[in-house]
This record gives sequence, structure tokens and C-alpha cells, in this order.
Amino acid sequence: MAGNEPAPPVIVCDAGPLIHLDEVGCVELLTDFPQVLVPTTVWDEVAKHRPSAFMHGTVRFQKVTPDKALSAELDVMSRLLALHRGEREALQVAQAHPGCLLLTDDTGARLAARNLGLEAHGTIGVLLRAIRRKQRTKDEVVKLLRSLPTASTLHVRTGLLENIIREVEQSR
Amino acid sequence: MKTAIQAELPNELIAEARAFVEQGWVGDFDELLAEALRRYLESHSTRLAESFIQADAAWGLRGRE
Repeated sequence: MAGNEPAPPVIVCDAGPLIHLDEVGCVELLTDFPQVLVPTTVWDEVAKHRPSAFMHGTVRFQKVTPDKALSAELDVMSRLLALHRGEREALQVAQAHPGCLLLTDDTGARLAARNLGLEAHGTIGVLLRAIRRKQRTKDEVVKLLRSLPTASTLHVRTGLLENIIREVEQSR
Repeated sequence: MKTAIQAELPNELIAEARAFVEQGWVGDFDELLAEALRRYLESHSTRLAESFIQADAAWGLRGRE
């Protein structure tokens, strides 16, 4: 969009954001990224529980199988944080793609990502980013945020969601 | 004080938990459930979760790419 901004990174997806974005009809926001890498376990999980998430021809989905052994750090952190297999695979794939962005809504996976030096964000970040990237208007995103408690399975404390909505409304 | 609860759980999860009890790794099913709940609550910091969501909002609104 703006000429002097860095290009969007490759993203690696955990199941949560794919499911949550699809629940509010926003998977196509991922069209903005050059590649959307989906680890095999995550792919199977989403295909089973939310197959419609993959029915967006414009999103450059790519199913990937981790090809390197689990790093010792990730192995230990996965156990300590009781990460599921999909989360672990997403972190593993993200480690193999320097400069990528991991999308996850799981606090444990976010914590592991931070400790591994990986950038990670979640569904709310992608929705708000849509304003900056001119994919959605501010009003549309506020409406989407307000719909989250009823239209999606993403759970956010009501007060926190209200604060975010206020921040969006007051943003330039 | 204790409270009885009713919950619907996946059959596979129940089978696995019952096997754990039968093998003697935990006193009984109630104890296993209480321990699982306690561990979940201990490992899910709401403060941490909120800080990540606030970071999401900042990235979403003011990120560089």
C-alpha cells in the first residue's frame, strides 16, 4: 500500500485465527500476505472443523509439513506450556521461515513464540490491520469486533474488547 | 467445600482419563479433574493473554508493513 512500508511477511497459521476469521467472514484478509503456510496438523484440524476457511481462492494457502527436527528449545517449551500438536507444528514451521509472522490466538503459543524470538499476532490484530491496509473501513472493523462474542468462538474479556473498540474509534 | 458439576466431555478424553485412574496414577476421577482444572487455571494467565491482545491492537493499527 504505502510505498515506503516493508512488504507483508509470509505467515504461518495456527488453527485459531483461520477458524475465527472464517466465523466472521474475514479469511480473505489473508489475501494481503504473499504466502499463508498451514502446517499439516493445523490443516487437518481446520479442514475437519471449519472446512469453509479454505474456500477462498484468493488466499495463497500452502500446506506444509515440518521438515526439520523439533528444536530442543521448542520441545521443552511445548511440554512446559502444554501446547497442542498443531501449535507446536506452527512454531516449528515458523522457526524454519525467518522473518515470517505467526498467527495464533493461543496465549501459550504466543509466549513460546516470544521466547523463540518469533513475531506472533492473532485474529484481532489481523482485523485491525485491515483498516491500515485499507481492506476494511474503520466502521466495518468496529462492527466486526462487536460481533466477535456472538459470531465467533474467540473469547475476549468484554471490557478489553470495549477498550479496543474505543481505541479503533479514536484512531486517525 | 465441594460442588458437584455436570459436564459433557469427548468420549476419548474420558476413556484416557479413566485408564489413568485405573492404573493408579491418581486417586480417583474427581481428583484428576480437579488437578486438570487447577493446572489450566495456573497456566492461563489472563494478564498475559490481555497483554498479547493489546499488542495485537497496536500492531493492527500502527504496524509498519
